Amino acid sequence: MQLLETRGVGKIFGRVTALEQMDLVLNQGEVLGLVGQNGSGKSTLLKIIGGLVQPSSGEMLLHGKPVRLRSQSDATMHGIGMVHQEQSLVPNLTVAENIFLDKPNPAKAQGLYRWKQLYEAAAAQLRKIEVDIDPRAIVEDLRFAQRQQVELAKVLAVEDLVSHPPIILFDEPTSVLTPEEIRLLFRQIDRLRQSAAIVFVSHRLDEILHISDRAVVMTDGRKVADEPVSALNRESLYRLMVGRQRAIRAPRGIQSDEADPSKARLQVSGLSAGQQVRPATLSVAPGEILGLLGVQSSGAEEFCRALFGAEDNVQGKIKLNGAQISVPSPAAAVQAGIGYLPANRHVEGMLKGRTLVENMALTFGLDYGHRGILVNRRAERQVATEWIGRLKVKTRSADARIDDLSGGNQQKVVLGKWLLSRRLQLLLLDHPTRGLDPGARDDLFAVIRAEAAKGLSVIFIADTIGEVLDLSDRVIVMRDGTMSAEYNLNRGDAPSEEDLVRAMV
Amino acid sequence: MSHVQPATDPLVPAKPGFAERRAALRRGVPLAVLILLVGVSAIIAPGTLSPAALNGFISDAAPLMILVIGSTIPILTGSIDLSVAGIASITGVMLVVLAPIFGPWTCLVVVLLALLFGALQGWLHAWLQIPSFITTLGTLSMLSGLSLLLSNATAQPLPDSDPFINLLGDTSFDIPNTGFATLVLVAVLALVMRYTRIGRDLFALGAGERAALMSGVRNVRLRSFAFAISAGCAALAGLALVSVTQFSSPTLAGNLLLLSIVGVVLGGTAISGGVGGLWAGVIGGLITAWLRVATVLIGVKPTGQYIVFGVMALIAVFLTTDRTKIGIIK
Repeated sequence: MQLLETRGVGKIFGRVTALEQMDLVLNQGEVLGLVGQNGSGKSTLLKIIGGLVQPSSGEMLLHGKPVRLRSQSDATMHGIGMVHQEQSLVPNLTVAENIFLDKPNPAKAQGLYRWKQLYEAAAAQLRKIEVDIDPRAIVEDLRFAQRQQVELAKVLAVEDLVSHPPIILFDEPTSVLTPEEIRLLFRQIDRLRQSAAIVFVSHRLDEILHISDRAVVMTDGRKVADEPVSALNRESLYRLMVGRQRAIRAPRGIQSDEADPSKARLQVSGLSAGQQVRPATLSVAPGEILGLLGVQSSGAEEFCRALFGAEDNVQGKIKLNGAQISVPSPAAAVQAGIGYLPANRHVEGMLKGRTLVENMALTFGLDYGHRGILVNRRAERQVATEWIGRLKVKTRSADARIDDLSGGNQQKVVLGKWLLSRRLQLLLLDHPTRGLDPGARDDLFAVIRAEAAKGLSVIFIADTIGEVLDLSDRVIVMRDGTMSAEYNLNRGDAPSEEDLVRAMV
Repeated sequence: MSHVQPATDPLVPAKPGFAERRAALRRGVPLAVLILLVGVSAIIAPGTLSPAALNGFISDAAPLMILVIGSTIPILTGSIDLSVAGIASITGVMLVVLAPIFGPWTCLVVVLLALLFGALQGWLHAWLQIPSFITTLGTLSMLSGLSLLLSNATAQPLPDSDPFINLLGDTSFDIPNTGFATLVLVAVLALVMRYTRIGRDLFALGAGERAALMSGVRNVRLRSFAFAISAGCAALAGLALVSVTQFSSPTLAGNLLLLSIVGVVLGGTAISGGVGGLWAGVIGGLITAWLRVATVLIGVKPTGQYIVFGVMALIAVFLTTDRTKIGIIK
């Protein structure tokens, strides 16, 4: 049964056409997988259906009747719910308050809360998705995966607002989840499948093929394919999306030189950070790509942040090219030639409101100045523009504001900030592919491989096991703040996914 | 299936987009306001543009301009320095107190002390992570108290042989030297802001503090620098003030605090940091100084001036806040 239809929907931001002539039908009992490269208009389409953005042209029909959604809460009242990529809960309120934040609820009377009824109603919503979370708990006290479940309960509560089947939109929900949490999410989607229309966005083609009934591929704001998943496989989906064949990894010849530690690029001994990272010892060779793997709070992220001096209570010794870094701090790390691409690029990676060149020249622009004192803007601009080209950043101009780019392109700019350095020794990548489409990810990997071949050492925390095996020379698995397994891929170690998962959990 | 962008040239010829036009507007409006203000005043009272009146304006405006330019620097980083009026006031008092010890070098010593004090204040604010608002409110109170204490709450004549004060109080080519001092200060700071790493890092801190820290910007050093500059400028402003009056008064600059901040925001520097700059400070300082003239011209009593300035401050903040930065989706 057809629930929602968009007819010729388009959206123009300033001079940029984000979405053009989009015709889309959402049916009850069907999971629609939506894929496309960064900046292809997926998010815009989802925001239009979710009431967050008003279309510039075209119309939407809900049950055959034209409808205008003026806001997200308006969409909620029409039974349309959206699970955001980054969680949208208010951290200092209770679970129950969050679930009913955007909708009328039984517990408000004459503007006063009736807490008991509110908690009961929330408990009913949580029971519906079979999770055991106390509705009285404060959201910030919950674990990440639990918060995701609350978010899901909040969105699914729209079922009760309308008499018809709800429409649930998932905007890259899996990008921040562990494999176990993804399985839980998929179980919920399977449970909803019959009683709702679902749109599922992911950059992981396997997930799309696994969970969806129908796949829609978008490129440059247009729909280029709309086919049942049974007619597709990984390769054909990739081709539809990227427009070229997938690159196959060529093995590289870098050996990690444990026998001769004097030649190591990085030597870490007894590095710890509070309870999150237990004393760890490690060395990385010049040009080596080391993959770190671990579930959320395994200590992999914290290990990288400790190396960069961005964690509290860092103990232990960090030596780069044999010279010790005295007081760990980001400024000292940068001085020594360590770069860090943060997982949270919005807060820690990019300067909002500034141009691409300004963002990229921030840290190492002076490498291109006079005697390390005076800034040479022309030289900076030139090298930044070169990197914008090499990283294939999709932008109108090097002087565009970084906010105007799509997420994946912003990530490339933040990476460019480090790569344009002439003296970068070690690059730490914390979930570098988060929010990147497969094509952009391959571009990114190619650039990282090329830089590693020139001698840059890389430590990288992957989103998936596949990525780690794809890019790394050596893999270290972390669990509970310690290193639980190590595989040297170039020496013939070939761990299976099962081996790695066993070491992770 | 189309290849989205050729790999070699991803740059489409640049045309100014919406955001750039907005930014240009924000830069252009204060200048237009200044010209309009001067134009209207000249029509109401043509005498305001006579050489004598302009010279009066320059001596009157120079201390305020210097204060505004100094205050701009911490505000660019997202902090604020409220102690500038206190420093400007205590400068005159220190001149009187220290003259017997340092003789002709007193002015230099006073400015150096101010720079040190500012650096310490910036260090306290950044290292101990005390909000600048409260740090400098505290030091403002301390400085005001100290001025009253050191001067016994009375106005005292300056030692008449101080070479630097005499130079500042003099004129060259019939134009007050304080005007030239302001120009030199602006030129030096403009060079630092444009051609050293400091300028860029100041803006970066204001635009996104955590991203700047994670990019290796040295927060504590930079904030110490920013507050040292604002304190140093405040001391210069104090010297410019006493060079006109030839008297030191412990409450000399008390009424300049609001005006200096009004000046910063009227020029288009956002109080949230990261947007604006020295040029904005210059224009904002000129507008504020001219407003003082204009309010008298249109017959606002001196007692009523503060109402005008308060209203101007609100309007200026309203116009200069970069709302896209907050990221609310309408």
